[in-house]
Amino acid sequence: MKEECRLKEKEYLRESRKPYSPLNAIEEASRCLLCHDAPCSKACPAGTNPEKFIRSIRFKNVKGAVETIREANILGATCARVCPYEKLCQEACSRTGIDRPIDIGALQRYATDFERSSGMRVLEAPPANLEKAAIIGAGPAGLAAAAGLAMKGYKVTVFEAEEKAGGWLTYGIVPSRLPQDVVDYEVDYVKNLGVEFKFNTIVGRDITIDRLKAQGFAAVCVAVGLQGAAALDIPGAKLSGVTTAVEFLKAAKPSGGNVEVPANVVVIGGGDVAMDCAATAKQLGAKAVTIVYRRTIEEMPASKTELEVVQKLGVSILPSFKPVEIIGENGRTKVFKAVGLEWKDKNTSVEVESIIQLKAELVIQAIGQTAEDVSYTGLEASGKGLVVADSEKGTTNIEGVFAFGDIVNGGKTVVEAVARGKAAAQAVDEYLNCRRIGCSACKEAVAGKEGGR
Amino acid sequence: MAKRKDLSVEFCGLKCENPFFLSSSPVGSNYEMCKKALESGWGGIYYKTVGYWIPQECSPRFDATRKEGTAFVGFKNMEMISDKPTEKNLEMIAQLKKDFPDKVIAVSIMGENEEEWTKLSKVVTEAGADILECNFSCPQMTSHAMGSDVGTNTELVEKYSAAVKKATHLPVLAKMTPNITTMEIAARAAMKGGATGISAINTLKSITEVDLDNFTCLPIVNGKSSISGYSGKAVKPVALRFIAQMAKDPELRGVPISGIGGIETWEDALEFLLVGASNLQVTTAIMQYGYRIVEDLISGVSYWMEEKGINNLSEIVGAALPNIVPAEDIERDFKVYPKHDDDKCIGCGRCYISCYDGGHQAIDWDTTNRRPVLNEEKCVGCGLCWVVCPVEKCVVPDKVKFHSFGTPRDINVIAKKL
Repeated sequence: MKEECRLKEKEYLRESRKPYSPLNAIEEASRCLLCHDAPCSKACPAGTNPEKFIRSIRFKNVKGAVETIREANILGATCARVCPYEKLCQEACSRTGIDRPIDIGALQRYATDFERSSGMRVLEAPPANLEKAAIIGAGPAGLAAAAGLAMKGYKVTVFEAEEKAGGWLTYGIVPSRLPQDVVDYEVDYVKNLGVEFKFNTIVGRDITIDRLKAQGFAAVCVAVGLQGAAALDIPGAKLSGVTTAVEFLKAAKPSGGNVEVPANVVVIGGGDVAMDCAATAKQLGAKAVTIVYRRTIEEMPASKTELEVVQKLGVSILPSFKPVEIIGENGRTKVFKAVGLEWKDKNTSVEVESIIQLKAELVIQAIGQTAEDVSYTGLEASGKGLVVADSEKGTTNIEGVFAFGDIVNGGKTVVEAVARGKAAAQAVDEYLNCRRIGCSACKEAVAGKEGGR
Repeated sequence: MAKRKDLSVEFCGLKCENPFFLSSSPVGSNYEMCKKALESGWGGIYYKTVGYWIPQECSPRFDATRKEGTAFVGFKNMEMISDKPTEKNLEMIAQLKKDFPDKVIAVSIMGENEEEWTKLSKVVTEAGADILECNFSCPQMTSHAMGSDVGTNTELVEKYSAAVKKATHLPVLAKMTPNITTMEIAARAAMKGGATGISAINTLKSITEVDLDNFTCLPIVNGKSSISGYSGKAVKPVALRFIAQMAKDPELRGVPISGIGGIETWEDALEFLLVGASNLQVTTAIMQYGYRIVEDLISGVSYWMEEKGINNLSEIVGAALPNIVPAEDIERDFKVYPKHDDDKCIGCGRCYISCYDGGHQAIDWDTTNRRPVLNEEKCVGCGLCWVVCPVEKCVVPDKVKFHSFGTPRDINVIAKKL
């Protein structure tokens, strides 16, 4: 039994997909048609430019490929593993017209693995002679903004509530998909650009934004992500053994999989997070894992790759079933009950006479994340508790405070968070440049905005 | 049982069950190897060069040029002639002929002087060989009295051919080096000396790649390397050219030619026959894939003959020669325009890039629909677009235009396209 546990743990911690060998990588890169107006490159939110790095690999210039990736994407090795390629660059790939798209993610991983094993370093930050900038949250958006600002010469400090950086990368995504050492490597990359990290520090409790400003931080970036978890309101939802994806994954990943997983697990939801929960439960010893999803399988937002991964692990998937009750015994979860739905169209469904009862000692709700209360910032919030900010620049109702990432857009992909962090760094730089030279146009714009509030 | 055509061809007066032979090289070094090859279906062998001079070989001794994937584009070797004692080789040759009386056992020989050539001719004939092949062409001999230094010297070629011929009643082939401007002159000298036919080509002198860490070429032999013979697919165009030129030479008309150089597939084999070879030799593809490749050579050629209604391979030997003409005889008034199929097109823009950067800027790029648009005014009909297009039958040669003179020929294949 003990041996079995160790084996399971190994499966959980080891990256499931094999890397390309140099020969495989060049072979795959040579399938690339090297398009004139490469649609793949246009489809990457972070501007990672697959057309250019694949061409470099094709012509045996792996270092050139690393340079292209790294200059565009500070989380290039992470994105190589978690990006929904089939919905972005690979969906755009012209090669699909002949047979199948280029395996862009695996090529990006090949280049970044090379970077790591060879100790190659593309980015060198200039001396940090400019103003101090504070970033709240060390998730993908915060890290991208921190790196972007450090590269421009700002003194950057990242405040993080947890004890490690990475946000959802560290406290969520299953290690067989994204090993922790890959995340740590990229966080170290950011540190080596001169970025300082203050862990176990909750802004709003341990330090206020006003205090940060008083300490000389000329710009404050709010990239706190979504820390709350949506929960179902059905009978039995408060039983012991009913948990949320956020709670479950946050316990599993930092402990290296050292959590108790019972024999029967039900995961509710159809996104990548649900897939991560199912894979984690299965890899950590659950006998039967079932994903229950309200909509049809075609509508599952999870990436096809992740869906395939859990199917290979032997996870059952039940689409078009709505949770109705969790039945307990002595206060503990015992049976999960759901009712079948028939979808008339995308938005209309009716319950059908199909009830399912599954044995479940653990029910994980992966039905979305919610914003924590950010009223401590003084920022304008929407109905859902999201921060109101310019979707491109991240400017908010408070001068010098920027907000971006999941807390603004309600939760998107890692690559989108990187893109937003990069854009915010650009916006902060523009703002501080203007302030430094006393640009009157900007001052007026700010004054106008504040007046209109 | 698959239907098989009769692939037998007569070569130098000998009936060969098929034209596919091992060439004189590592693939035909001893009895066991030749036995396995003959049992696999090869029509005959050219036994690895026998001599009195015994080489000292180096390690490692091979290198390969690759592109993407695993196949060799070209192959470099540093081996010389057989490193076995002459007597041992003669025993094995005798055994092979005894065990495979219906196969053709050709033997490559190489002497250091006239006397040795005559002696080798005599003993190999006595051992039971069917054909003697004089190796005038190995480019990596450590003795300069041997190998391609001999093949570029017409006096020596003639003298040694005569020395071999006078001691045998067997057909004598002179194996030519491509490390020469024109091969016809050396071939004529061999014929003048009494040779029956020509084998071509031996390997090209080469440096396949230079090691960027050790500043030497490959393979690295204890820190150094040297120029040596290059073979495989990459040399096929060179081989076809030399063979075609010899086959068209008035003084060499009708001389049997054994074709060598990069044959891997049945299509390669047919190409050699079409430019005038009536016997074929293979090494590099065997070194990479094994003797079994002969199965697809035989089967592929059979199906082609079936399709074309050809009953005897001798019908096609040299059939392409009349259509290979000097550059000055090519008609310059003829022009083919490409046709771009918008439905097949996948929008990669490769034709656009190549036409702009390597052609005549005759393709415009429709950025909205991601499709090429031909500008006939600027198009010179060079055909680069259909050569680079990665999609089958997407860009094809189409409309033909004659400037002011000339008449269309009765030929339906304007350009070969996959």
